[in-house]
Amino acid sequence: MLDIRNLNVSYGNVQVLWDVSLNVRKAEIVALLGANGAGKTTLLNALTGVIPLRSGEVEFDGTRIDGIANSDIMERGIAYLPEGGRLFPEMTIQENLEMGVYPRKLWGTRKAQLERVYDTFPILRERKRQLARTMSGGEQQMLAMGRGLMSNPKLCLFDELSYGLAPIMVREVFRIVTSLREQGITVLLVEQNAYQTLEIADRAYVLENGRVALSGDSKELLANDYVREAYLGL
Amino acid sequence: MTTLLNIIIGGLIMGGIYAIISMGLSMQYGVARILNVSHGEFIMLGAFLTWTLSQAGISPLLSLVIVSPPLFLIGFIIHRTAFKRLSSISGGGAFEGNAMLVSFGLMFILQNVAMIIWGSSPQGYQFLVKSVTLGGATFAVNRLVVLLFALVISIGFYFFLSRSRIGKSIRAASQDPIAAGLMGVKINRVMALCFAIGALLAGLAGVLLSMIYQINTAMGMSYTVIAIIVVVLGGLGSIPGSLIGGFILGLVGSAVSYIEPSLQLVAYYVIIMLLLLVRPKGLLGR
Repeated sequence: MLDIRNLNVSYGNVQVLWDVSLNVRKAEIVALLGANGAGKTTLLNALTGVIPLRSGEVEFDGTRIDGIANSDIMERGIAYLPEGGRLFPEMTIQENLEMGVYPRKLWGTRKAQLERVYDTFPILRERKRQLARTMSGGEQQMLAMGRGLMSNPKLCLFDELSYGLAPIMVREVFRIVTSLREQGITVLLVEQNAYQTLEIADRAYVLENGRVALSGDSKELLANDYVREAYLGL
Repeated sequence: MTTLLNIIIGGLIMGGIYAIISMGLSMQYGVARILNVSHGEFIMLGAFLTWTLSQAGISPLLSLVIVSPPLFLIGFIIHRTAFKRLSSISGGGAFEGNAMLVSFGLMFILQNVAMIIWGSSPQGYQFLVKSVTLGGATFAVNRLVVLLFALVISIGFYFFLSRSRIGKSIRAASQDPIAAGLMGVKINRVMALCFAIGALLAGLAGVLLSMIYQINTAMGMSYTVIAIIVVVLGGLGSIPGSLIGGFILGLVGSAVSYIEPSLQLVAYYVIIMLLLLVRPKGLLGR
């Protein structure tokens, strides 16, 4: 479904990603792990046109999408949740969700989609008139996910969903990610929280210094001595 | 009692106009990051276009509709040409400073072109110079008409921003441009739109002003100053702040000028200085 081949990205003269190749199949949860500064967020930003690519190919659903404008990704069926959710703090919860179907083609679906998202996250329905900035971190993350799901995406790109959340919220958020797979939605999950991520992911890639250092089934990686030592602290 | 009513009506008229021009400036600064020093020149253009049309026998009320599209278009084109290019060549945080310099240039160009066309002497026309008596006080009909339109335009615009799809995209873009981009908002187009809306609102305010005051081609600057005061008073980039701030300043100005007209501007500066001491973020700023 998503096929990335030999992606190179640099900020000015500093190359951040080197020949990164990875693929995600339909209805799969694929994790992208790595330490701070390994280039995980850069990869997502490059995929979604927030920053330019230097070279490489990106294919999504049979079409090349490298060099796409970031305002076009949503219409292609991709939802990107940047780190920290990036909600609109001075807008209400409902308005934030509505922004998730902003493109003209989708705007008409907002009533039905709101109902669907409110059913998945009942807490959002209760607080729909509240400003986004007044919610707790966990609730904001739910809102960010809800906003991403408004457009009925085929692929979700999640950046550090669990970051800064209480353990109970992390479990809740990961439970929702698993339920997306059951609905046939494909997920690429960028995380530092390696252990819990590997438990829900089907496969994973490990980025180190901008290169893919390791990849494989989650179970294999959980058993891998190097991963256990470097990323799981076991 | 009738004095109080007069002060309040006068305050609401000024306040409504201040609110319109300040919301316009707020659009240009809050989203497009342009502190548009030539804002007042668009007010002047609106006023003089109305005056020219009135000489041809066209009602100023009709001018509200006739004058808006060209001003919107001029604003849009200026952003698409000058400011868009400026933003692509200004690296880092240099854009805001550069944009202000460009808007200074724009101010001189617009003012001088206007002076070539319309000269530098004051102009005016007669519009609804009848009076009505309400609650024991007498009001000029034209002032009541201006009041009505100022309220309709400022409140209508507020609802456009808070309810419509485009309005929501404008607010989203002002709060987080990158996230708005990920939602499919075309950020460059929204910035041009905001600049154009700013020019449009300034123009509408100019049409209204010309109905009740004499106009001249150098009138713009004083309104720019007032708009900046209101925007700071309400909180930079806050549209409800500009709306409320405009009415507060209008009412204060009306009360002060009843006592001593020459102290009006002094009162505005005192308000802004006190505000900066007590609440530098502005009334609704964050």
